Amino acid sequence: MRVPLSWLREYVDIELTPEQLAERLTLLGMEVKGIQVWGADWHDVVVGELLAVEKHPNADRLSLTRVTTGSGEPLDIVCGATNIAAGQRVPVALPGAVLPGDRRIERTEKMGVVSNGMLCSGDELNLTSDADGILILPQDAPLGVPLADLFGDIVLDVDVKPNRGDALSMVGLAREVSAVTGAPVRFPETDPVETGPPIAERLRVDVEESALCSRFVGRWVGGVTVKPSPDQVQMRLIAAGQRPVSNVVDVSNYVMLELGKPIHTFDAAAVHDGRISVRLAREGERLETLDHVVRKLEPDTLIIADPHGPIGIAGVMGGAGSEIGPGTTDVAIESAIFDPVSIRRTAFRYGLRSEASLRFEKGQEHRMARLGADRTARLIREWAGGDVAVGAVDTDPSEPAPTRVAFRPARVDRLLGTTMGSAEQAAVLARVGVATEPAGPHTRILIAATPRPLEVDARDAGTLVATVPSWRRDLVIEADIAEEVARVQGYDTIPEILPHTPMPPYRPSPLRLRDTVRETLAGAGLTEAATYALVSPSMIERFPPIEDVDVPGEGQAGGRPVTVTNPLSTQHSIMRQSLIGSLVEVISTNARQARPDVAIFEIGKGYGATEDGDSTHEWWRLAIALTGAAEIPAWNRSARPYDLDDIKGVIDLVAWRLGLPAPVYAPVTDDPRLHPGRAASVRAGAELAGRVGELHPALVEDLDLRTARILVAELAVAGLSGSQPSVPRISALPRHPAVDRDLAVIVAETVPAADVVGAIRQHGGPLLRSIRLFDIYRGRPLADDEKSLAYRLAFQADDRTLVETEVDAAIDGITAGLAADVGGRLRT
Amino acid sequence: MDLADLTRDLEALRTEALTSIEAAPDVAALEALELDVLGKKGRLTSVLRGIGALPADDRPKVGAIANVVRQTIEGALAERGAALRGSEMQARLTAEAVDVTTPGRPIRRGTLHPSIEAMREIASIFEQFGFVVYESPEIEDDLTNFQMLNIPPDHPARDLWDTLYVDVEGRLLRTHTSPGQIRVMQTETPPIRALLPGRCFRYEAIDASHGTEFFQVEGLMVDEGTTMGDLKGLLDQFAKAMYGSDKRTRFRPGYYPFTEPSVAFDVECLVCGGTGCPACGRSGWMTILGAGMVHPVVLQYGGLDPERYQGFAFGMGPERIKMLKHGITDIRLFLENDLRFLEQFR
Repeated sequence: MRVPLSWLREYVDIELTPEQLAERLTLLGMEVKGIQVWGADWHDVVVGELLAVEKHPNADRLSLTRVTTGSGEPLDIVCGATNIAAGQRVPVALPGAVLPGDRRIERTEKMGVVSNGMLCSGDELNLTSDADGILILPQDAPLGVPLADLFGDIVLDVDVKPNRGDALSMVGLAREVSAVTGAPVRFPETDPVETGPPIAERLRVDVEESALCSRFVGRWVGGVTVKPSPDQVQMRLIAAGQRPVSNVVDVSNYVMLELGKPIHTFDAAAVHDGRISVRLAREGERLETLDHVVRKLEPDTLIIADPHGPIGIAGVMGGAGSEIGPGTTDVAIESAIFDPVSIRRTAFRYGLRSEASLRFEKGQEHRMARLGADRTARLIREWAGGDVAVGAVDTDPSEPAPTRVAFRPARVDRLLGTTMGSAEQAAVLARVGVATEPAGPHTRILIAATPRPLEVDARDAGTLVATVPSWRRDLVIEADIAEEVARVQGYDTIPEILPHTPMPPYRPSPLRLRDTVRETLAGAGLTEAATYALVSPSMIERFPPIEDVDVPGEGQAGGRPVTVTNPLSTQHSIMRQSLIGSLVEVISTNARQARPDVAIFEIGKGYGATEDGDSTHEWWRLAIALTGAAEIPAWNRSARPYDLDDIKGVIDLVAWRLGLPAPVYAPVTDDPRLHPGRAASVRAGAELAGRVGELHPALVEDLDLRTARILVAELAVAGLSGSQPSVPRISALPRHPAVDRDLAVIVAETVPAADVVGAIRQHGGPLLRSIRLFDIYRGRPLADDEKSLAYRLAFQADDRTLVETEVDAAIDGITAGLAADVGGRLRT
Repeated sequence: MDLADLTRDLEALRTEALTSIEAAPDVAALEALELDVLGKKGRLTSVLRGIGALPADDRPKVGAIANVVRQTIEGALAERGAALRGSEMQARLTAEAVDVTTPGRPIRRGTLHPSIEAMREIASIFEQFGFVVYESPEIEDDLTNFQMLNIPPDHPARDLWDTLYVDVEGRLLRTHTSPGQIRVMQTETPPIRALLPGRCFRYEAIDASHGTEFFQVEGLMVDEGTTMGDLKGLLDQFAKAMYGSDKRTRFRPGYYPFTEPSVAFDVECLVCGGTGCPACGRSGWMTILGAGMVHPVVLQYGGLDPERYQGFAFGMGPERIKMLKHGITDIRLFLENDLRFLEQFR
């Protein structure tokens, strides 16, 4: 809320500097987000007096004026306004002056006459909305004084929290100032002078929905003259962020800002029979609202109606048909209290949230209905003339009893960690108008209002009962009193201590395994990415979940994609089901920044819903993407692009780091994302499984990626979703040497290396300890459809040094096995 | 052959050997020479073969002379060898010299994402105070995300969390990590010291300080005697750990429906040090997180008796924590994943 200090001072004396006031209010919970110096953009604008106003010799519509600013030679200034006369005091922008909008005023020639500056309108100074006439200043405005000294102001931007609707007003903030300084609050005079007919002859109000409109106070003012508001009112409204419209309309905005009470005024001539009803809209009813949009009213909308139909959406926006206009003479005033939830729903439904609806949503003080109506009638009479009808229509004149909140000062101290005691707490509460007294014998203390009321007996002898001022709707339970005590006393008085209560038991962090993987991959030169979980429909289509991956405890990818029903953009509208698309997008982003070499990974979630749409699930995955040069290009190294073996190497590293068996790869030819000849499923024991491959060239083209080959992988890893890395078993060092044998196996080109290794392992016997592929050869003397795979095998026994014959026997077994299983023969 | 002959032969061998040694061009020639003169079948051995023909009392004399000759030659060989090896080493070193000023062969450099790292950094600070990490779902229900946090439907405070809803009945994308408070309270018995990092979503246009997606870290401490003073002391420690032990902090009233009293926690402006500048809106302070004492309603929904248990909760954005720390002014950089940004977090 924008608060011009000159306006706030109407209700409370302020001796603090604006900066001090801002800090004190902030520390009281009324955060001042900005301090604006109003008039800071007027330079060299001073008070002048018109000595003479004559016709411009060469232009009918211009005047030539002589102006004195109190000292020096009078200035000749050309002016186009018609509301000026000799003897008036006016704002003079001297040559060199700067006006709002960085408008610079210079000495100019206008139709053959030199003009030494400019006379300013209220609009040019952003003081009033009058753009046609010159702003006429009070006769006592001292000559030559900078206008900023006269009308300059400080405007505080106060962030009033949603629970303090009472403070969304000048009076409400004056109370907060009073809590800080102790200065008394001056509530404005509200009683109007009543010179009109009895109200019953002019206005009748019938509330059909009393649950949604707990009080309606109506007043009537006849014979008004609609014209611009007094300059000072316009200045205040503009500084507070409201556009002045006309005196009658401005009154309702003024009262809303002053008291926090939204008010609506109708042209009484448009209210048929002077009869207003508050009811729900009926099927098929329509209303043209003040913004000149014809709206179809939904049947559960609370409306204001006359016998002919709707004339306003209650608390949200009035109807155009009963709008106050230049011809309005009689005004009907609505000062009502509506149900906050109903107003909020209605404002959202019609997309019409306003300053008024915001205040209704936060709840209204019951007595403010009457005070607001009275104040409105009083100000209309002051600013627009007319006669106020005698009395008011009031559907619920009773004043509800004040809220009483029982609290235990010792409990407040226990919550805050303070030692204030009851006397000090009572004194602090008194500063915000909360009276306290000792509790009676059967007082119950409300601990929480929902989900079920929780009350306890006031066994504590020191229990007090606080009587809450009617405007403080936020003080209901004991904890609310604790906050109020802390807030008014100042959070700075709460002592700083360190936790000293019992510790919870040890719990392993669910982030541990993720962090192990992250550090391993970063150490291997990959950079971690964090991408959006919300992606576009086309990404969902191109990168479906990898469903055939099963790692116990890590969840199955898949299910119906979860779609946002109110997305900000389709780019971020569906929860992703695979991370690969997101990493490809990162590659694309970086390619556009001339970064063709990218090695990234992300540990993130995929999301899905069951087909019946009842439940959702989330699964963690590790995704990797590599493209461009496999190593940082340098003068001392030849460039080598990433290939499938590199990304498999990364997977092998992860498996090794987590103590898993060596990953086994098997061809996958039907993944539409991946190159059918360069894709594999991967599995390392039961703990790691996933998919790896080169992005399908057609997809690379389709996505308009500038980089040729992209290697991707997505893996489920046991523990990613929240458990610990396993602890490796450490073996004693072997005491007997290993025997190495090299074996070159010739097989058909179509036989995967994994099958050859599988056969060697199966037939190698218990002494075979390791198998390492060290060469693949194709060419003469092999046949065209043959390849030779060279392996180094290591044989070893724990209890003895092997003899040649033992190893020979093992090799013989392997040779026979290779022939039988994969049609292989040894190359000799 | 008599003593004089042998002596002369030995003398000649010595003279010739010394000349040859002096003339040896390299270590290999020297080694050949050594073998030729002193080897088992070398010339010295063959000269001494004549010793058997001498009278018995001459033999020791020849032996003594031969020893002197051998020692002399060995000495010369060693000396010449050292000289030759030295110059050969010198020649090799000269030949092998490189330009040591060229850059090294670069190793691929990986970095960790600043949002995730910030969460880990935050967690590690609170872990020192006995906090343990939990996680909770990102697709939440309205009940846990709002109602159990004392934010009923149509409550004006819902304006603080513009929400993305999904096509699953009653579900939404969590707008904060606070629903994790409920889930922890429902499964654990106090004492509770929980930390809940994770991804959150808002219906908010993406600009320099807002994102549709962002991360948050929630803290929750509940037992029988945790006070607002503990919260104040702990957060002060956190700010000093994160930003430096000389940093002043400030506790002021804030508003959240799920805490009472509520707190906004400020640290002195990291740009101006508290004197006031554009970065801190001239207030001298920067707000780094929100906190408060857990509302009794929330404790009840969590299955805890608010008469017995009390405690605090706090929530912070790791991106904001990082932005303040490193002087980053645009939150969009975090999810854009431009490597020029990510690679600066070493």
